[in-house]
Amino acid sequence: MSDSILVIGGGIAGINCALNAARYGTKVYLMDDTPSIGGMMARLDKTFPTNDCSICIEAPQMYEVDNESNIEILTNTEVRKVKKTAAGFEVRLIKKAKFIDEEKCTGCGACIEACPVSIPDEMDGKIGGTRKLIYMAFPQAVPNKAVLDPECRYGRMRENGSCVGGCVVDCSQCRECPIALCVKACQKEGKDAVRLWQANQNLNIDVKSIVVASGILSAEPPDGLYGYNQYANVITNLQFERLMNAGGPTAGQIIRPSDQKHAKKIGWIQCAGRGLTKGVPYCSKVCCMIAAKQVIITKEHDSSVETTIFYNDLKAYGKGFWGFYQKAVENGVRYVRARPYDAFEDPETRNIKIRYEDLDTGNLAEEEFEMLVLSTGLIASDRNERLAKVLNIELDELGFFREKSPMLAPLETNVEGIYLCGGATGPIDISESVVQACAASMKAILTA
Amino acid sequence: MTEDVRVGVFVCDCGSNIAGVVNVPEVVEYSRGLKNVVFADEGKWSCSVDALSAMQESIKEHEINRVVIASCTPRTHEPLFKATVKGAGLNPYLLEFVSIREQVSWVHMNEPEVATEKAKDLVKMGVAKAILLEEGEEIRLPVGRECMIIGGGMAGMNAALNIADQGFNAIIVEKEPVLGGLLNRISTISHDREQIPASEIVKKRVELVEAHPNIKVYTGAEIESVKGYIGNYRVALKGNGNGSGPAFEVSTVIVATGMKEMEPAGQFEYGKDPRVITQLQLEDKLKNNDLGGIKNVVVINCVNSKNETRGCCSIGCPVSVKNALAIKEINSDINVHILYRDLSMIRQEGEALEKAKAAGIRFVRFPDDRYPDVMSDNGELGVRVYDVLIGRDFTMPSDLVVLTTGFMGDDTVDQIKGHLKVSSNADGFFQERHVKLGPLDFPADGISLCGCAKSPKTFKESCEEGIGAAMRVSIPMNKGFIEAEGIVADINLADCNACGLCYKRCPYNAIELDADKNPRVIKALCKGCGLCAADCPKECITIVHYSDEQILAQVEAALEENPAKKIIAFVCHWCALGGVDMAGVSRLQYPANARLIRVMCSARVSIRMVEHAFKLGAAGVLVAGCEFPTCHYITGNYAAETRLKRAKKKLARDGYDPEKLWNVWCSAADGPKFAKTMRDMVKALELE
Repeated sequence: MSDSILVIGGGIAGINCALNAARYGTKVYLMDDTPSIGGMMARLDKTFPTNDCSICIEAPQMYEVDNESNIEILTNTEVRKVKKTAAGFEVRLIKKAKFIDEEKCTGCGACIEACPVSIPDEMDGKIGGTRKLIYMAFPQAVPNKAVLDPECRYGRMRENGSCVGGCVVDCSQCRECPIALCVKACQKEGKDAVRLWQANQNLNIDVKSIVVASGILSAEPPDGLYGYNQYANVITNLQFERLMNAGGPTAGQIIRPSDQKHAKKIGWIQCAGRGLTKGVPYCSKVCCMIAAKQVIITKEHDSSVETTIFYNDLKAYGKGFWGFYQKAVENGVRYVRARPYDAFEDPETRNIKIRYEDLDTGNLAEEEFEMLVLSTGLIASDRNERLAKVLNIELDELGFFREKSPMLAPLETNVEGIYLCGGATGPIDISESVVQACAASMKAILTA
Repeated sequence: MTEDVRVGVFVCDCGSNIAGVVNVPEVVEYSRGLKNVVFADEGKWSCSVDALSAMQESIKEHEINRVVIASCTPRTHEPLFKATVKGAGLNPYLLEFVSIREQVSWVHMNEPEVATEKAKDLVKMGVAKAILLEEGEEIRLPVGRECMIIGGGMAGMNAALNIADQGFNAIIVEKEPVLGGLLNRISTISHDREQIPASEIVKKRVELVEAHPNIKVYTGAEIESVKGYIGNYRVALKGNGNGSGPAFEVSTVIVATGMKEMEPAGQFEYGKDPRVITQLQLEDKLKNNDLGGIKNVVVINCVNSKNETRGCCSIGCPVSVKNALAIKEINSDINVHILYRDLSMIRQEGEALEKAKAAGIRFVRFPDDRYPDVMSDNGELGVRVYDVLIGRDFTMPSDLVVLTTGFMGDDTVDQIKGHLKVSSNADGFFQERHVKLGPLDFPADGISLCGCAKSPKTFKESCEEGIGAAMRVSIPMNKGFIEAEGIVADINLADCNACGLCYKRCPYNAIELDADKNPRVIKALCKGCGLCAADCPKECITIVHYSDEQILAQVEAALEENPAKKIIAFVCHWCALGGVDMAGVSRLQYPANARLIRVMCSARVSIRMVEHAFKLGAAGVLVAGCEFPTCHYITGNYAAETRLKRAKKKLARDGYDPEKLWNVWCSAADGPKFAKTMRDMVKALELE
């Protein structure tokens, strides 16, 4: 019987699950469907309630994963088929082409510089973040290798000026493509690691148990909510996080998408969309502390920025969280218990005017902000549905994986040998994810 | 040194990444002229498989016994080159990594000549250190397979079961006469839509624990003493009566001491009127189905919580709703009011809230600074509350007032802190190693914590923490040892005056004192931060691979030429070097005056090192560490900051300008901050 385990998802939960199991002495396949491990945490600027820099504490763990001989990292990889057997699971994975020879690529970035096409970055699009068609997921990416967007490879970016657009022959001889600038740049560096003809790879593995750590998503505001889709200066709290981040698209400058000017008056709307038909129907518990963190950091950047948080019920459920909230108050943040109704843009200034009811006084009020941040909450990963089907495990009505019995058999699913941790179980913060990761690794190891 | 030191220097082109800016052949040629260098070569891609094997060949062929690699960054590539050196038969600690891509070619792209000079300096510094490098070795400490779990509540029992299921031995020490902890006082527990009587859960779990051949339980037991550290804890329990109690040895410890409800004595008529009770006292009534003939219940939340001294009790809101529903279930005619400040109901707990509202439970929000009054007059109990929504006071009759109070750590916390040399907060909750990434660990290896001993947790969370803590201590127990990297402290007792400072300051309890107060480093526990060495008044502690001698040699090499133009920058390996690397990756251009010296922690930098740089004429000195509050060694950067203040005073006394000593606390994401510091420093020191 195989003694290995498979961890699905390389965010902070998956990383900790894998590290624990590997150090115990178990062989671990750590799989992620994106080009790098790191997950949500790698995108964050700071973590509450200490304001530890996120990548500062996560990157060393990522490097540890990279150097751990018991862990095999499989990025850009998806689960295709899982068969339960008496001995565990037969798993078929598909490693999607990165169009890079990972053995040869040293992550030097010459190809990225050579690429002529910049497109909006998936996460940072609204705040001006771009990436090339050949790119590195983020500077600390593990593995530290480039990845080529298949949109380029298949010619779908020709209109955008992608260099293979010059290719008129479609000869299927990309192996010796003399046109692609990234290929040429890499060859010039003497590496020849860009492989435009690379195919997806099937991979069959046997494992005794599986841990699902597929993570969480920050909800996109539903259509029309506070003008998110219409007005440039209405952004989500995750986008704001990227604005604050020195490693983000603005190098940590808190500037407005409309004119790149420093925003001097910023409003946060908590529970944005909560209770609306398309909004998140439950409390995600972390947004209050995220907002507290964001205002504290904003004030650290520039103490003259006016910050207001419109909220319902303050969630300060964890150790040190209340003190963190108090720190935000001490820093001059204005907390208004309120229900904002709507938002309008002043076409000239591009400022956002909101109307709200102050729940403490019952008064209606109107206020203008230079930028509006929507705390939209955390939702289940969009991969869960497919994963649940492949793994033959259940989802709850919110789209998170269902535990067999949350109280009596926490982190276990209806299939013996498949366990859960982190955002796969619901809205959760980093330390809780790490705890669950430790527990799930224990369960995965103890699986007979 | 009797040994013939033969240094090999390998300079990487990194394609055109380095070679496109730095004149690599010139650097190689320069290296050949350095003291003790017997071989120097250029590699197009030093990290490629063929280059690595060529490197191994060269090491053997030229009998190289010290290796300097000048390439990208040690944060990503040091393990690879260490393994390569080891593969060539050399001790991997005889490698010195010089970063000429992130620190040179990527950040001085438009100044090839300046960049080449800086690269030469960095290589020279690397060689100077390499000459002094000594062999290091990973240090192992054997770890057995017995774990003591302090506390037999839900977290502790879960931990014990998971340890025992691996075939290891678990010893539970519970101070109460029975296992089960706080759960013994609770009627039902609920999560999402599931609700289970607590007694049922306890009964089943206790049966499992008691039937397990690998679990030994001591109830009614208290700890007399704990001596030792991971691998050799010696535990003595208090005896009943006069004799001494049982004693045993364990390799690891889990702290699962739980929490207790705070007595709201003197508040809200509690203690004066028996009709004013706490949630736990209500649980007792619910367990016995004994509410008496009450008609009106008022629940007051956030009692002794969310004020100047204490935070959110974490579990009060869902508990108050759960128990209110239980009251309604017993008798739906009873009126229940829940008075609250914020309702902290997350995820599906929101459904319980809806259910409570549907059952007729009333919720009244009161202002943060205006708590309700409980009035007990002439046998009448009433509660006056200011309803935020209505904007006025109103009084409701009540024959039962339930206070949802905060929690604090168990009574035994202070003793356990002493036994295990760990710390707690003002409320008696133990302090974990790292709030985010070390939630189940103490700083010292081999001791874990879980459940409500850390902070109030839900039932489910406590169970998960118990299982997780079992995992944390099982890693060394399964391997049979812990291993420390070779970068450790070494104390030369000849000069030691037994002041005990190192013992007190070590964040990892890695230094012990013998009967004569002579310190000894438990090397397997040492993390090599160097805090002790930098603070030692007698300078008798050295850190393998980061010795005073080696670091001073780097300083001297850097300042051999043009010292007045140079800045010596001591940079911590974790965040600050991360920031340097980030500036590199982002191609941020900054002046090339700094010569970086890597230390594991900013706390390693001693006043002597700083002063030595000034003595040799350095234009300035920079100490760069992790941005607060992050520190890979818990609080090393705080120690560094304190020391730098002292350093400035000493510099002034010794006739140097203290303003030339700078520091920057820089996150690994903050390339711009490091680049700006460089620009600011060069400007302030007038080096432009």
